[in-house]
Amino acid sequence: MLISNKHLSLIKDEILSSKSQRAGTYFNISFSEREIVLTFAEPITLDNSEYYGIDALIKLINDKIEILTCDFSNIKHYDSYLILLINNLKELSKSKRLAINLIGVTPKMAKFIELFGKEQSAEINNIISTGFWENYFSHIGQLTLTGLTDVKLFIEFLGEIISKFFSLFIHPGKMRWKEFPFHLTKSGVNAVPIVFLIVFLIGMISGYQGAMQLRQVGADIYIADLIGISITRELAPLMTAILVAGRSGSAFAAELGTMKVSDEIDALKSMGFDHIHFLILPRIIAVMFAMPFLVMLANFAGILGGMLAALSTLELTMVGYLNEMQTALSFGDVFSGLIKSIVFGFLVSSIGCFRGLQVHGGAESVGKYTTAAVVTGVLTIIVADAIFTLIFQSLGI
Amino acid sequence: MMKKPIIEVKDVCVKYSENTILENITFDVYEGEILVIVGGSGCGKSVLLKQITGLEMPTSGDVKIHGENLTNANDEIKRKIQKKFGILFQSSGLFASMTLAENIALLLESFTDLTEDEISDIIDIKLSAVGLDGYRNYLPSEISGGMKKRAALARALALDPDILFFDEPSSGLDPVTAASLDNLIKNLNESLGMTMVVVSHDLASIGNIAHRVILLDKEAKGIIATGTAEEMKRNRENEKVYNFFNRIAN
Ligand SMILES: Nc1ncnc2c1ncn2[C@@H]1O[C@H](COP(=O)(O)OP(=O)(O)OP(=O)(O)O)[C@@H](O)[C@H]1O
Ligand SMILES: [Mg+2]
Repeated sequence: MLISNKHLSLIKDEILSSKSQRAGTYFNISFSEREIVLTFAEPITLDNSEYYGIDALIKLINDKIEILTCDFSNIKHYDSYLILLINNLKELSKSKRLAINLIGVTPKMAKFIELFGKEQSAEINNIISTGFWENYFSHIGQLTLTGLTDVKLFIEFLGEIISKFFSLFIHPGKMRWKEFPFHLTKSGVNAVPIVFLIVFLIGMISGYQGAMQLRQVGADIYIADLIGISITRELAPLMTAILVAGRSGSAFAAELGTMKVSDEIDALKSMGFDHIHFLILPRIIAVMFAMPFLVMLANFAGILGGMLAALSTLELTMVGYLNEMQTALSFGDVFSGLIKSIVFGFLVSSIGCFRGLQVHGGAESVGKYTTAAVVTGVLTIIVADAIFTLIFQSLGI
Repeated sequence: MMKKPIIEVKDVCVKYSENTILENITFDVYEGEILVIVGGSGCGKSVLLKQITGLEMPTSGDVKIHGENLTNANDEIKRKIQKKFGILFQSSGLFASMTLAENIALLLESFTDLTEDEISDIIDIKLSAVGLDGYRNYLPSEISGGMKKRAALARALALDPDILFFDEPSSGLDPVTAASLDNLIKNLNESLGMTMVVVSHDLASIGNIAHRVILLDKEAKGIIATGTAEEMKRNRENEKVYNFFNRIAN
């Protein structure tokens, strides 16, 4: 005996106790000087899967042991769990340099093992063996590369759109104008209620917050300046653009992505149509056209919301509020918001289309790029807004 | 007789980033011929078709159609060449937002001066040629997969092209419908002399329609055999070819 009886019974206890917590199968261990024999009991199935005590088994193995024999002659019910078990035992025998010996394998079982028991463990090992940090950094590197490639491709795409857009001035018939009112309704008209509601509430919230502060210094009347300027310059264009990114940017990505997956875009190209003129420009132009109108509406909604908040918390009349609004707001405030909105509309819709055209493979890719369309869209708007603020400041608008 | 090459593919290589899909593909398609491209799943048949039809640029190599180089053609010339052929895509490629009639009408409205009535008549003729009479006003989502294939064929035929490309026309069709599609292909070829390039897995259909077969292989990344279906079936020299055409697993 290589292992003291006491040691052996300890290990057996360990195996049994680990098993006792989960009802199920088990194996019997018997061993001689050079061989361990595991006799498995019914059944070896996934729904009856059981910790087979392989870790504990390792402790039984020492230098002298050369053969690991697994006896399956009692097994009549088995499924993929058998493959898992055999793979584990094989790996164990490899690491301990044991010869593995399967006995009691019926021809039917052998066929099953052959069918599913292909060696994939080498690859799996490779994946596991790369360290956490290595994975971490290579992941970051990969993300950066994809990000940069996306930026490059997007700039190329913008170039193509812009050149095709200007070619419309020479051949206006190239675009599919039939699609234009349809997209205008979908991206513009249908967005009216939500844009109105959201910016109205934003106006109301900032009205309340501002009123609290202004009341303390007795500058009640300046609530109109606060609301007017923040809404027309920043909040209305920004919120509208974010809403349009969520509604239309995502819709464009999903629509074009689905068309890509179902070969519609290839079909279109192969028929000699230009997909930019046919599908992309009607969408982008519709959004760019709708944006200033939506923002004008949003301006109205925000100022109205702010007014309700101001009237209900401050000693102010409606006429006073509106009069102050008139003196506070300059043409530049409203104008800069409208200019911004057109650019935001362009960015959001072209990003939506760009992401849609990036879809490849199957339907799951559509979801991925739809999400990407919204995320990139919103991010780009905020960055563009920061740039606008700098430009307007230096121009004194 | 039919020895005039209408499509010339020369040394075409396709790489996606670092991943080489096809290497040094060279073959001709002759006027009035039905050429079938076969090969295992994922070997690059659809990719090859995209290169030949100018939907993608090969990484290197040339494709000529009617003697005109498609690979370095500008958009204008490319469109002119593309208008002469019809393509049936693997997943039909019908425009989902349009009815079958509108799908077909789009081409006729854009590239011909026909009147509305004439267009409407042509739509009926094409739809009935593929056995879809009465389905003019259906959306693609309202018809079955096999019907979509046939509708897409009707659309591909809209401008009476002289070359037709098919990507797996019979996949997903029952044997009877598949056979009737084969007959349609043969009839079009015999009656109008249309040149056809067909990607297919369907051995029965290949035996039925092919004048000549090209076998692509994933490992070789290219053509490993050319010949008639019968020759391929008897090819004892190359095990891969023999196995493919006799339906033997590797
Ligand atoms: N746009 C792409 N980018 C990267 N790899 C691609 C692209 N398109 C195809 N591939 C790859 O090229 C290989 C060949 O694809 P292809 O669609 O041509 O196969 P196929 O021969 O048509 O197969 P099937 O008979 O299943 O349709 C595949 O391994 C696929 O992953
Ligand atoms: Mg394919």
